[in-house]
Amino acid sequence: MSFIKVLILKFSSLRTQTMASSDKTINTDVPEKDVFAIHFLQSLSNLTTQNPFNSPDTTNYRARKIKKAAYVSMAKAAGGSSRLWSRALLGRAAKENNKIVRFARRKRKVTWKISSKRRSDQRAPEATDRLRNLVPGGGTMETSKLMEETAHYIKCLSMQVKVMQCLVDGLSPK
Amino acid sequence: MENELFMNTEFPPPPPEFEPPSSSSAMMLNWALMDPTNPQQDPSFLWEKSTEQQQSIFDSALSSLVSSPTPSNSNFSGGCGGGVGGGGDGFIIRELIGKLGNIGNNHNISGEIYGTTTPMSRSASCYATPMSSPPPPPPPSASSNSQIMMNRTTPLTEFSADPGFAERAARFSCFGSRSFNGRTNSHLPINNNVVNNSGKLTRVSSTPALNGLVSPELAPMIPGGEFSRKRKSLPKGKPKENPISTASPSPSFSKTAEKKEDWSGKGSKSLEEKVGKRRRDEEEDNVDEEGGEGNKNNNTKPPEPPKDYIHVRARRGQATDSHSLAERVRREKIGERMKLLQDLVPGCNKVTGKALMLDEIINYVQSLQRQVEFLSMKLSSVNDTRLEFNVDALVSKDVVMIPSSNNNNRLHEEGLQSKSSSHHHHHHHQQQQLNNIYNNNSQLHPNNMMLQSPMNSLETSSLARSFTHLPTLTQFTDSISQYQMFSEEDLQSIVGMGVAQPNNESQHMKLEI
Repeated sequence: MSFIKVLILKFSSLRTQTMASSDKTINTDVPEKDVFAIHFLQSLSNLTTQNPFNSPDTTNYRARKIKKAAYVSMAKAAGGSSRLWSRALLGRAAKENNKIVRFARRKRKVTWKISSKRRSDQRAPEATDRLRNLVPGGGTMETSKLMEETAHYIKCLSMQVKVMQCLVDGLSPK
Repeated sequence: MENELFMNTEFPPPPPEFEPPSSSSAMMLNWALMDPTNPQQDPSFLWEKSTEQQQSIFDSALSSLVSSPTPSNSNFSGGCGGGVGGGGDGFIIRELIGKLGNIGNNHNISGEIYGTTTPMSRSASCYATPMSSPPPPPPPSASSNSQIMMNRTTPLTEFSADPGFAERAARFSCFGSRSFNGRTNSHLPINNNVVNNSGKLTRVSSTPALNGLVSPELAPMIPGGEFSRKRKSLPKGKPKENPISTASPSPSFSKTAEKKEDWSGKGSKSLEEKVGKRRRDEEEDNVDEEGGEGNKNNNTKPPEPPKDYIHVRARRGQATDSHSLAERVRREKIGERMKLLQDLVPGCNKVTGKALMLDEIINYVQSLQRQVEFLSMKLSSVNDTRLEFNVDALVSKDVVMIPSSNNNNRLHEEGLQSKSSSHHHHHHHQQQQLNNIYNNNSQLHPNNMMLQSPMNSLETSSLARSFTHLPTLTQFTDSISQYQMFSEEDLQSIVGMGVAQPNNESQHMKLEI
């Protein structure tokens, strides 16, 4: 009992630490792997309860569901709406679920896409645009912000991949 | 004009800063001459007396206006009151001082000034002005601040290049004899004496100027409001007058000169009133022009301060305008982020060049996304029952691990979930397992809340012994091992997945416990 309490306290303190360290200028700190695992498994369990596996779903549909669950859980694990890309992911997911989720509105609403198009003298504009398409919510980011978000996104993605890999490895039949 | 100057000195309690001026000999002589002549010669003296109170009120108002510390205002106090006259006079001095005789003439002239209506007196006063005014490079006394400013801001070369300007200026000051003489006489001696008292002196200098402007003839036409309006309206005129002042300062001057030449022939009092009116208008224009020029000069200066706000220093050979500076800042930012990404993306260190690096990053992100997709495919293809089973098991573990406040609710939910999901299964084993999980959860729940459960001691001991993050899972694995559903490796991997990362944390906890 006391052990569990200590455990809980430990985790909460860990969370607060990560939260406290999140207001640096360039912060690409990513929560620990187990946080991703927890979120992912939770979403998976929600998936299973919503759509029991012996229901006549095709594998593709399930795969898509799981993928979406993976992304959403990743976005949740990576700090919810504190990151632009996670906001975009969650917003997109909510849209697909026909739910209306409103985050606190950002002060600045400038479409950087237009300005980036105007900048024709940039060295790699098409590469930047491709990156914009890849990173969720990248269409409305300034280039430097895009880079920062990309860094964070990459970290989270790699973490998520590791988690999923572990799960697949553990579950794959011998 | 001298009357009022005199009044200032004699009738109202003389302002303390005006008292000490230890006025120049010329000034003293002026006053000395004025003293006896004034009551007799000046017919408008009585009227002056009547308006004295008004003026005193007006003075206070004006002085408050003038003494305001903004440079533009002080510029205009000079511009309106003394700007044209003062600055112009200061300049005229340079031109005319050679032509004039010694100061001694001044006595006669100032004596004549009381005749004011005669053209001769006008011309005389015109000469008197330069005489009593200070030498061209005015002393850096605070009172002459406005004058200095005007002198500096006005492109003197322009005027000096104009040969007729001296004459015109002379006439100008001649017409302004009524107003400007008094002013110049009054405050220029102070300049000479270099009495340094900025606020008070500006007040002193402005007050006589006003007194001078409200000369007996002109005063009825100039209500006090006009002056205040003038001074206030000047800043508005600034930008308007800017192009004019830059384009053609001389034409307007020549115009005024022509007018003045016409008027100078006539000496009647009524005419002079009109002249005074017109002159004032012109003066206003001139002031506007000079103000505009001052403004223009001010405009040329400000572009420097904004550079201070951009905290980037251009190195040698780099562009320094704000846009390129901002662009450079942006690029540096992007480069910084790129470096960050370079460390993250494997194999990005070898690549040189931004475009190639971006390509590499994009490839990496794409590969990761594809991996996620692939793994989700794999997960979906994993045996249904096992996946669900594991999920439930792990979720039960998660419930313990999640520190959020909804632990208990969660536990119940999970237990219910596992129960409900168990209905879908056909295997007896699994049902049993799930029940087992549920039991575990129910055990954990009191563990969290109440402390007294039959399994409590056993569970805590097992937890302490195994000491992993997944207490339920470890127990669970034990329970599963009975059924031999999973191989050891699988379980370990599952456990390892959960535990792999936070090893250091577990150590921390060990230490704590």
